[in-house]
Amino acid sequence: MKDWMDLLYVMDFVSIGILITAISINSLSQIEAWIKAYMINSWLLSLLIFFVAVKNPEHHLYVASTLTFASKGVLLPFFLKSIVKQMKKVQVVETYLSTSLSLIISGIIIAIVYVSLGKGIFVTGFSSFVLKISVAVILIGLFIMITRRSAIAQILGLLFMENGVFLAGFSLTFGMPSIVELGVVFDLLMIVIIMGVFMVQIKQKFSSDAADMDQLTNLKG
Amino acid sequence: MEYLQFLIIIIFSPLVQGIIKKLKANCQGRVGASILQPYYDLIRLFKKEMVFSRVTSWIFRVTPFIVFISTIVAAMMIPVITTKSSFSLMGDVIALIYILALGRFFLALAALDAGTSFGGEGSSREMIVSILVEPMLMLCIFTVAITAGSTNIAMIAEPQSFVLSPSHVLALLAFLIAIIADTGRVPVDNPDTHLELTMIHEGMILEYSGRYLALIEWSHYIKQMILFTLFVDMFVPLGIAHDTEMTGLIMSSGVYLLKMLFLAGFMAIVESTRAKVRVFQIPSIVGGSFVLAVLALLTLIMVGK
Repeated sequence: MKDWMDLLYVMDFVSIGILITAISINSLSQIEAWIKAYMINSWLLSLLIFFVAVKNPEHHLYVASTLTFASKGVLLPFFLKSIVKQMKKVQVVETYLSTSLSLIISGIIIAIVYVSLGKGIFVTGFSSFVLKISVAVILIGLFIMITRRSAIAQILGLLFMENGVFLAGFSLTFGMPSIVELGVVFDLLMIVIIMGVFMVQIKQKFSSDAADMDQLTNLKG
Repeated sequence: MEYLQFLIIIIFSPLVQGIIKKLKANCQGRVGASILQPYYDLIRLFKKEMVFSRVTSWIFRVTPFIVFISTIVAAMMIPVITTKSSFSLMGDVIALIYILALGRFFLALAALDAGTSFGGEGSSREMIVSILVEPMLMLCIFTVAITAGSTNIAMIAEPQSFVLSPSHVLALLAFLIAIIADTGRVPVDNPDTHLELTMIHEGMILEYSGRYLALIEWSHYIKQMILFTLFVDMFVPLGIAHDTEMTGLIMSSGVYLLKMLFLAGFMAIVESTRAKVRVFQIPSIVGGSFVLAVLALLTLIMVGK
């Protein structure tokens, strides 16, 4: 299995796939499609960890891969979908920028990351390429959080950032002990659940279509 | 012998168009016209008389010839069934893209020349698409050219293998979208309608009739087949002959035929499963694939594969 992985650049393809799913949400307008993109992103993430685990057989890598798949690949998308269903309207993400402009900006972000994290950085484990991709995913997630109005889009931006942080930490340290990862995943689940409750509350209070965060600017005591 | 391989493109390009139309009709549950229909259309147009508007100038009359000749020159440059060619010295892929752009430039001028509103609309839209598509094509070509170490198409097609690396796959996807946009296929333009709100290519050639229209249509088919061949040469050169031996040539012709059929099937599937987008959404589709092309080049530079 190790041989054909090297031969076909499987790991490079998977990491490029992570980057592309992160970029692709710039061009999607339906929130369901965003959730799907996040789901695929998490699947690819756990697949990458699985490939690393095959290459360097350590048990906690398999645990991390399974945990990522179960929590980010299955549980969170399911929960987000149920929230979207509760909102009872076809969710269209409103953005401050046009699609092509935000695509170009994310392209520029990637270029800056690639150039500024040149070849000098020493990385254990797998290639420094993965570190570049993870930083790019973090910045794209941040960019999405800044430029989108609706609350659920901002949550998805945060989740993409979290995936990026996870990948960055993973590429630098070969993964933390399983207990730490378990804690991080549990934290993430809690955050999303609390945010989900907030979002439904915002929608009910203001009866807006998509939990528009612009309306919160008037809340001053 | 190898001088004549561009004749394959010139002769068979209407056939490729006919096959795409037939497959598309079959996908949609229709019987469709015969695959030789584009030939009949061209013959019919060559027999008809031409009508000129009184306001047109010489540009309108020379444009069909410039378009046709520049397309044929472009067809001479690319290896079709063998990489050994006497024209290979000038077979530079950047020159090829800009020779095609010459024809497109004159077509846009001629559309403005007749002074109709549809012509102006068509040429402005064509220029928007080409502004977006040309840098994309160049970026994809650079990605492949850096790996091959040359911008000569024969040298790119020489390694005789299918290079599977992340940067190549990204460039391949971007190039496919560029082909769709450049040949006026469905998500960007509908080649079959003459509906004024949607047409791009048809809007430009609305004033032409008879032999001149036949020349322009034919060069459009040739350009489509050139782009298909370029795609095949750059990304899947597997099976192309390296010399001019008869057996090798016959085998590589068969492989070439298969690749063309595959691409025609792909185009037919894309055309029948996608709907035409609005004109103002074209930049977002093409912009997305432009990002793919940029990523391909960046990945190649940074990862080295």
